[in-house]
Amino acid sequence: MRLGILAVIVAAFGLSACDGMQSGGASSDGEMLVVFSSRHYDSDYALYDAFEKETGVDVRTIEADGDLLVERLKADGARSPADVIVTVDAGRLWRAEQEGLFAPLTSDTLEQAVPADKRHPDGLWYGLASRARVLVYAKDRIDEGALAGYESLADPAMKGRVCVRSSGNIYNISLLAALIDRWGNDKAQQWASSVAGNFARDPQGGDTDQIKAVAAGECDVALVNHYYFARLMREDKDVVKDLAVFWPEADPGVHVNVSGVGVAKHAPNPVLAKRFIEFAMSEKSQRLFAELTNEYPAVQSVKYENPALAELGDFKSDPISLQKLGENQAEAQKLFDRAGWP
Amino acid sequence: MAQLSGIGRLSIGPAPFGVAAALLCTLPVLALAFMALSGGGEHLEHLVETQLAEYATNSILLIISTIIGTLLLGIPSAWLIARHEFPGRRLFLIALPLPLAMPSYIAAYAWMAMTMAGGPVHNASAGLFPTVGGIAGAAFVFSVCLYPYIFLLARQAFENLGMKSFEAARTLGASPWRAFRSVSLPLARPAIMAGTALVVMETLADYGTVDFLGTPTFTVGILRAWISFGDPEAAARLAMILLLFTLLVFGGEKLWRRGQSVAEMGGRTKPARRETLSLRARVIAILCCSVPVLFGLVAPVWMLVTLALDTQTARSPFEAFQGTVIVASLSALIAVGLGLGAAYAARSGGWFAKASVQAAHVGYAVPGAVAALGVIAILALFQNLLDLAIGPAAPLLAGGGIIALLFAYQARFAAAAIGPCESALTRITPSMDHAARSLGASRWSVIRRVHAPMAFGGIATAALLVFIEVMKELPATMILRPLDFETLAVSAHHYASDERLAQAALPSLLLVGLGIPIMLLVSWLMAKQQQDGTHS
Repeated sequence: MRLGILAVIVAAFGLSACDGMQSGGASSDGEMLVVFSSRHYDSDYALYDAFEKETGVDVRTIEADGDLLVERLKADGARSPADVIVTVDAGRLWRAEQEGLFAPLTSDTLEQAVPADKRHPDGLWYGLASRARVLVYAKDRIDEGALAGYESLADPAMKGRVCVRSSGNIYNISLLAALIDRWGNDKAQQWASSVAGNFARDPQGGDTDQIKAVAAGECDVALVNHYYFARLMREDKDVVKDLAVFWPEADPGVHVNVSGVGVAKHAPNPVLAKRFIEFAMSEKSQRLFAELTNEYPAVQSVKYENPALAELGDFKSDPISLQKLGENQAEAQKLFDRAGWP
Repeated sequence: MAQLSGIGRLSIGPAPFGVAAALLCTLPVLALAFMALSGGGEHLEHLVETQLAEYATNSILLIISTIIGTLLLGIPSAWLIARHEFPGRRLFLIALPLPLAMPSYIAAYAWMAMTMAGGPVHNASAGLFPTVGGIAGAAFVFSVCLYPYIFLLARQAFENLGMKSFEAARTLGASPWRAFRSVSLPLARPAIMAGTALVVMETLADYGTVDFLGTPTFTVGILRAWISFGDPEAAARLAMILLLFTLLVFGGEKLWRRGQSVAEMGGRTKPARRETLSLRARVIAILCCSVPVLFGLVAPVWMLVTLALDTQTARSPFEAFQGTVIVASLSALIAVGLGLGAAYAARSGGWFAKASVQAAHVGYAVPGAVAALGVIAILALFQNLLDLAIGPAAPLLAGGGIIALLFAYQARFAAAAIGPCESALTRITPSMDHAARSLGASRWSVIRRVHAPMAFGGIATAALLVFIEVMKELPATMILRPLDFETLAVSAHHYASDERLAQAALPSLLLVGLGIPIMLLVSWLMAKQQQDGTHS
């Protein structure tokens, strides 16, 4: 009997909380914007709050890994509640585009603000912020002059000195997808095999763990995204005090990946979606990405305050068409598999 | 009550509901099976040529070592707690199951942070404690996180089964060890197997932990086929292979066990009398119970607390906490109904009922993200059917919402609900039903007055397991939750996947914290029930 009473209490609690929680249920007053996002950073929450404050619109979100988002959007079809789709990585933007999940958006404001290499030619998506894949090395064990570019990781002199995360990770896949475009399949394959032969240990952990492994002397150089290093520079200085970032600028430049935003094909509220995307490209929104997440804003003229990014300085980025990253993604994983890069 | 006796007059048992619910739970996996039949073989061919053999080998090595680890941690502690009295017993009773409340990938993050070069354990042990990583590291993390499955089910069995036989064996001169090995252990075997099945399925289906620790298992291959190759059909096909493998293993075990089923005659026994231990034995007992708690709970929690104190939190975890409590308790309630119904169906039904109940286990053996894919597909199918039948007035079913989420949880965790209920009902022999029925009790009153009290421990265990599973569930929660709905596991994952373990610490600690009152509640209810049982 006691269980029965408990059941009733819990059910009542549950149902009262579920009220108005069903997806697609409009809020009682005012407009609602539904964002499906595979980003879940403080900068994004700050952006939603700012948009709510400025417009009075109620922003509701679902955050999930990009591939699940794509499958749900596909399955929901015309019934989808999503207005705006935000996703990390050009490869996933490409896949969402292939599945026809975006509606084209034309906007003079956006075309002026976002450089052409950071947006889709037909306005299916616009870049929000970007991240660079860089080398981090121990200053006392590696001479900066000994590093040239991503090639350096494959150098026989680096045997047993390289730390990288596993090959299923999207950052590694996108980099190799870019290298396939840069060098062709054979050379890219050779590179992956040589790097795998240079591992100091089997890939494990995330990018931050690779940086910490260099700091602890387990390896001498690591391949990581710049913002993990920038975050440590700001929050955990001790770890990075003997480390430095090397920009692999060797022609055509540092591999950069992008997070993007677009209007959902079946957006219930496309006008509001456009307004949100334009808001996201405004100066005060864009600086959030640099200041809270240590990413580079897509709108390059934006001024921001971030001592770590300032210290890292400017770099030349690879102008590769982001479409290529998507197209070469599957091939990149295959090269990793053949190289025995776990 | 009026309602109940009404059903009693109609003479419909709970079995048909159980069968229907069990069948409903298999739908997402059926959808995956259909998906597996479509699509090309290009990516699979590549996998067969390159990594597939290694993925499979890693998975097999991992489950073998995890089974050994969980049995070593779970069975001695369960036996000691169930049948012995020693200092700290009541504390261990609550603490031993708690590691289950910590998502294993969080434990993996914490253990790696502790044992990597420069980490506190690494420094304190002068580098002697190896860095947790690779197959050995993954087996370690799964063992310390998942042994509670064995502990919970084995303890239940040790407490309820074979007291008389055990005492008879002791009177006949068998040593405690011999009586344990040849009487109690065989009697507890169905329960231990049910626990092992949960351990194996969860280990095989895990992605987050093995990916982080650098142990490319079969499930890593499945997720890569989907994520890197953009080929969900190939992922579905590989998931079906994994599922078939799991079913073969357990089917084989069941067949092998068939000839040796043991059951003690004579229904409800008195509650286990606990032996007081000698001083030396007490030290060993405390040691056997501390080691699992130390590795599974104290060490990772200590690491998380250190991290949480070291950082300011970004967002209040209150809403996530509330969300977790709601979905987990609703699911636990539903699961009890489902588990009992299904267990009855398996006990009293024909081959179809038995097969349906077995089939309902499958959701547990499929990697979470792939299972979520199956739920999405089924919901879309339902939506299309509804739209065809009713047109635009059809209610919105596709995608997310609380109903979709609750359905997804049952489909995925039915195994955790059915297993304990089934093993609880095996204690109740058909002759007891006949006795009660011949005394004029209706079918429902037999259930209420005979079965429910006797099976209470199993039912409570089922509710507890499902509560904890749902609390930790990630992929289905992320993609099917209502808008703006948050759970602790989702918050923890968001921070952890961004490599901010410090911010992930607070929601993770709350998960463990939430496990404590739930454990207390269940053990209080169980003690209460046992008292009522002896007095009545």
